[in-house]
Amino acid sequence: MYLSWTWVFWPWAAAIAIGAYDLYSLSRHLKGEATLAEQLAIVTSTLTWLTLVPPAHFTGGGVCCGLREADRHLEVIVKSRPLSRSDRCSFDRFFSFGGRRAGSTRCICGAGSPVAAVRSWRLLCLLDFLCSVLPSFVSSPPVDPSRPRDGSGRRLYSLSWRSGQAPSVAFATRLLLRPMDQFSFLIKSEGSLLVHLQQDRTQASEVESHYDFDLFVIGAGSGGVRASRFSAQNGAKVGICELPFHPISSEVIGGVGGTCVIRGCVPKKILVYGASFGPELEDARNYGWDVNERIDFNWKKLLQKKTKEIHRLNGIYKRLLSGAGVKLFEGEGRVIGPNEVEVIQLDGTKISYSAKYILIATGSRAQRPPIPGQELGITSDEALSLEELPKHAVILGGGYIAVEFASIWRGMGAKVDLFYRKELPLRGFDNEMREVVAKNLEGRGVNLHPGTSLSELAKTEGGIKVRTDHGEEIVADVVLFATGRAPNSKRLNLEAVGVELDKAGAIKVNQYSQTNVPSIWAIGDVTNRMNLTPVALMEGTYFANTVFGGKPMTPDYSNIACAVFWYYRLFPLESLFHSLCGSKGCSIPPLSVVGLSEQEAVEKANGDILIFTSTFNPMKNTISGRQEKTMMKLIVDAETDKVLGASMCGPDAAEIMQGIAIALKCGATKAQFDSTVGIHPSAAEEFVTMRSVTRRVSGGKPRTNL
Amino acid sequence: MAATRVMASAGNAVSTPQSLNLCFKNGRLLTQKKRLFFVNNNSSKKLMLSVVHSFPCAHRSCRFTTTVRAESTNGSEPSANYDFDLFTIGAGSGGVRASRFAANFGAKVAVCELPFATVSSDSAGGVGGTCVLRGCVPKKLLVYASKFSHEFEESGGFGWSYDAEPKHDWSTLIANKNAELQRLVGIYKNILKNSGAMLLEGRGKIVDPHTVDINGKLYSAKNILIAVGGRPFIPDIPGSEYAIDSDAALDLPSKPKKIAIVGGGYIAVEFAGIFNGLKSGVHVFIRQKKLLRGFDEEVRDFLGEQMSLRGINIHSEETPQAIVKSSDGLLSLKTNKGTVDGFTHVMFATGRKPNTKNLGLEAVGVNLSINGAIEVDEFSRTSVPSIWAVGDVTDRINLTPVALMEGGALAKTLFANEPTKPDHSAVPCAVFSQPPIGQVGLTEDQAVKEYGDIDVYTSNFRPLKATLSGLPDRVFMKLIVCAKTNKVIGLHMCGEESAEIVQGFAIAVKAGLTKADFDATIGIHPTAAEEFVTMRTPTRKIRSAPSEGKSDSDAKAAAGV
Repeated sequence: MYLSWTWVFWPWAAAIAIGAYDLYSLSRHLKGEATLAEQLAIVTSTLTWLTLVPPAHFTGGGVCCGLREADRHLEVIVKSRPLSRSDRCSFDRFFSFGGRRAGSTRCICGAGSPVAAVRSWRLLCLLDFLCSVLPSFVSSPPVDPSRPRDGSGRRLYSLSWRSGQAPSVAFATRLLLRPMDQFSFLIKSEGSLLVHLQQDRTQASEVESHYDFDLFVIGAGSGGVRASRFSAQNGAKVGICELPFHPISSEVIGGVGGTCVIRGCVPKKILVYGASFGPELEDARNYGWDVNERIDFNWKKLLQKKTKEIHRLNGIYKRLLSGAGVKLFEGEGRVIGPNEVEVIQLDGTKISYSAKYILIATGSRAQRPPIPGQELGITSDEALSLEELPKHAVILGGGYIAVEFASIWRGMGAKVDLFYRKELPLRGFDNEMREVVAKNLEGRGVNLHPGTSLSELAKTEGGIKVRTDHGEEIVADVVLFATGRAPNSKRLNLEAVGVELDKAGAIKVNQYSQTNVPSIWAIGDVTNRMNLTPVALMEGTYFANTVFGGKPMTPDYSNIACAVFWYYRLFPLESLFHSLCGSKGCSIPPLSVVGLSEQEAVEKANGDILIFTSTFNPMKNTISGRQEKTMMKLIVDAETDKVLGASMCGPDAAEIMQGIAIALKCGATKAQFDSTVGIHPSAAEEFVTMRSVTRRVSGGKPRTNL
Repeated sequence: MAATRVMASAGNAVSTPQSLNLCFKNGRLLTQKKRLFFVNNNSSKKLMLSVVHSFPCAHRSCRFTTTVRAESTNGSEPSANYDFDLFTIGAGSGGVRASRFAANFGAKVAVCELPFATVSSDSAGGVGGTCVLRGCVPKKLLVYASKFSHEFEESGGFGWSYDAEPKHDWSTLIANKNAELQRLVGIYKNILKNSGAMLLEGRGKIVDPHTVDINGKLYSAKNILIAVGGRPFIPDIPGSEYAIDSDAALDLPSKPKKIAIVGGGYIAVEFAGIFNGLKSGVHVFIRQKKLLRGFDEEVRDFLGEQMSLRGINIHSEETPQAIVKSSDGLLSLKTNKGTVDGFTHVMFATGRKPNTKNLGLEAVGVNLSINGAIEVDEFSRTSVPSIWAVGDVTDRINLTPVALMEGGALAKTLFANEPTKPDHSAVPCAVFSQPPIGQVGLTEDQAVKEYGDIDVYTSNFRPLKATLSGLPDRVFMKLIVCAKTNKVIGLHMCGEESAEIVQGFAIAVKAGLTKADFDATIGIHPTAAEEFVTMRTPTRKIRSAPSEGKSDSDAKAAAGV
């Protein structure tokens, strides 16, 4: 009894002890603290692995293995002769040598045999282990600068080995690779190995790099911060410059965080929140709340709090950058060569830095129209920091910024006149929704002047005298120009280095955000693609992945084009937030859309389009007595049943639309919407309970008369 | 006589073979006013002929169509002459939906319901049912009312100030609420009327598998649908006569000064939020350690924390043993841990029971489960083939939209020739606590049990609004992803607007979308919901312990090599 117990126990205990020591050594190694003994232990156990688990299926059995970049992962192909089938294993990411997460997360057996699956899995474990351990033992890799390069700057190495000598693969690769190298290898036929080695190493690039930085980013807004952080995480040495902080931007003033944090989304939403309490108080009365007639709204206090909050966010962004190891310079950045940037510091001194890549993410700024007296008007920057609440505001523009400010100020009790050139505000949105928005604005007491523009401003004693192109005259105390934004590309010296701009001054880029100068890239509003914070974030991430994320192969252009198409089509877009009204209690409900508008759908679709709409009185209004309907709309392709577009105008529209956006992005059908059970009682449940078609519109090409 | 009517009606009628099926499906359909289904076509003569012949030999003509067989197993005895095709007992969400849809499909439908009252009993109910009269709707209206106090607090941080603290007047609220309920009852009645269903007032009792008794009058029906719902249940402890249930709580004559709420389910937490918002002192007594059994553990923790922060006293692991009324009229609640006194009201939110008593179910042989729920198959059919049941009375998932789904599916099964099973998977739901909860799919525990390997993404953040208001409000979000398939199998949120936010995500979860699909979607900025599409790194990865399974297959592989 005793004997048998020891027989079972001791070999296991020994194995566990050795294993534990190996693991410990490995963890030390990964931290870079391993002693010689520990490193030896790793090598020994590696060799043991190789001996104990004879890689017969790897080479000896006549196996050919390779790595192939698939759509979103790397495929390892294992061919085994005895089974004569090909097993495919997928890795979620590339092997990155020396990377700590070169692990496998998925293992798919293509051919289906469990034995083969386990083999492939074990092969991957081996590769993974070797990759993470061995390379760092090589002190100086035989990098040969004279090696030929392929199109994307990778050098090609060909290696050979003989059948039955699997470890030589690892041996050969470890001679070539060092931590941070991106690589892939392909065994073309038995006995020959082709290694793609990316020499665009960003760290440890002393061999060939003489640049101060791998990446220098001009502009620390949403896109710039994201790109620099992610690039730094990929091992790049990154510098970034930004203008000094101030709520109102100019050529020489900006601030880390950019438009979104300092002069856009965030402060706007704060004002909208602040404003929305007015109508809430109105609503509360019918719900039995006895609210004193004398309610005071202190604009200065709100403004102060807003400024405090954006200062806090500014600090968070700075910490994010320093946490990622990005060096921040305060000053104005200019491009002075394809690989050279100059930062004009606050005291006027200029310092120039060289960088392998330059990324321009300077964003955009609100514009004023060229009319007499335009200096008397303000832009959205100033509007977010006004000292006093306007009593009578005139707004020029029909875009979302104009409509948002109209709602905010009207909500705060100001008289608002809104001028725009078109028949309806919010050009580009669904026409039906535009009508709803116009109706809501009017219902709240905003004076709409469609088809009208301003021709002149003049200062008078009573305020600013505004003359319209119809000859009308209005005296207001604030005139806001919300007539669009222009890319901040003027003072970057781009023409001198040959970067192409379009007519509007936006930097021209390809799908990868690369300009015509290969080392200069641009993302965000300065490229004037789709000017939204999350888009800039996306472009930033994409840039970092492309340039420093080590995609060893060029992506398939056709797929990318398609992806970009949908990428830009399927943005959930939120435009109008709540706002408020002091006197007559009016919150202008937000509008949120995703996908196509009805007119776009009709244009693009080949067949008929089904329109589902629902207009209802939100439950809260039944008691508060507020007269404002919520409207929802779904646009469905009659043939495929796919939902092409969704829009909503009503409370919480933005929050509701996010989930719908995922469904649309993935091509959900109306049937899938219908099969989802509603959440009762909510407004959002209406999206899954629209049963009857409101109308059918024939779209696209004329149909044959049958 | 019947035949001539058919001939007359066939003139305006029928086209496709499918609608032909429909005509046959209900054999009798043709003798009733079912012209709807008939569209003209060139073979209408043939059709008429077969119809005319079908009467003496209904079975033979039925054999022409494949679908009829399903119908004849649906409990429709040939040649029986019933007053109605469907008789529904209970005009709540499920009953009204099933009746309306059935009537739209051409069935002759009757619905019976008890007279209207805000508090339900054996003899009182009302068209609209629990949802409209004593559940979702009135509750949400009270939630709206109570949320204002939190908004007043928030508004301070945004520059608003009040001369005097806003006070709440309970009677205004209740009067406005009841006016709204009356309006909704009227709407429901109209919906039924317009669909052609006949509404009868009175208590329905089943006499035999095809007969319902209402106030002594007998009605025969081919199918009987039971949709009588459930009612709050108060356990029998000393002094339980002083306790109120949720029905009464929604219609109190005055606002409680200090209320004890017994129970930790969603009704309890919702009322705790309501009364707390309206400035009553609120004490919640729960048997368990945490609120909301069955919800995700982290959500339970989070909600408990947030509710406490808003001033609700939660007494965990305290089981009430007696209610004592003192001389000053105040109530004290004795629990296993002690006594808390000074309550003006004690509310029990200790669960609901199906209304299956005195329906005559046992006599006709309808099987009930131990807790009194009607047992049904996946088509909502009871053990008696002609009797069906939907909604809370079957105690499956007791939610209005589920009852609606079950009712709609039943109408399709019976009268649209489309046997439809209600799909109870990935049903989203919300709890209108303050802050509210929204969820769809599995909890973490369920996911581990079902899938083993999962990745959990969580986010616990301070929303933009709270940074200015200075209140300790937070938002919690959680995604549960199956490690193997990358599918999102559970999604939970606790924070403002959770209910509205989760609905759209429910579509995604129901459609089986993956985490990668979530990631590929661009956020809407700045919202709380965007957090769900920007969760990059798992908070934890749960892997089933390196089991024997793996080494086992290893061994096998080695042997294979």
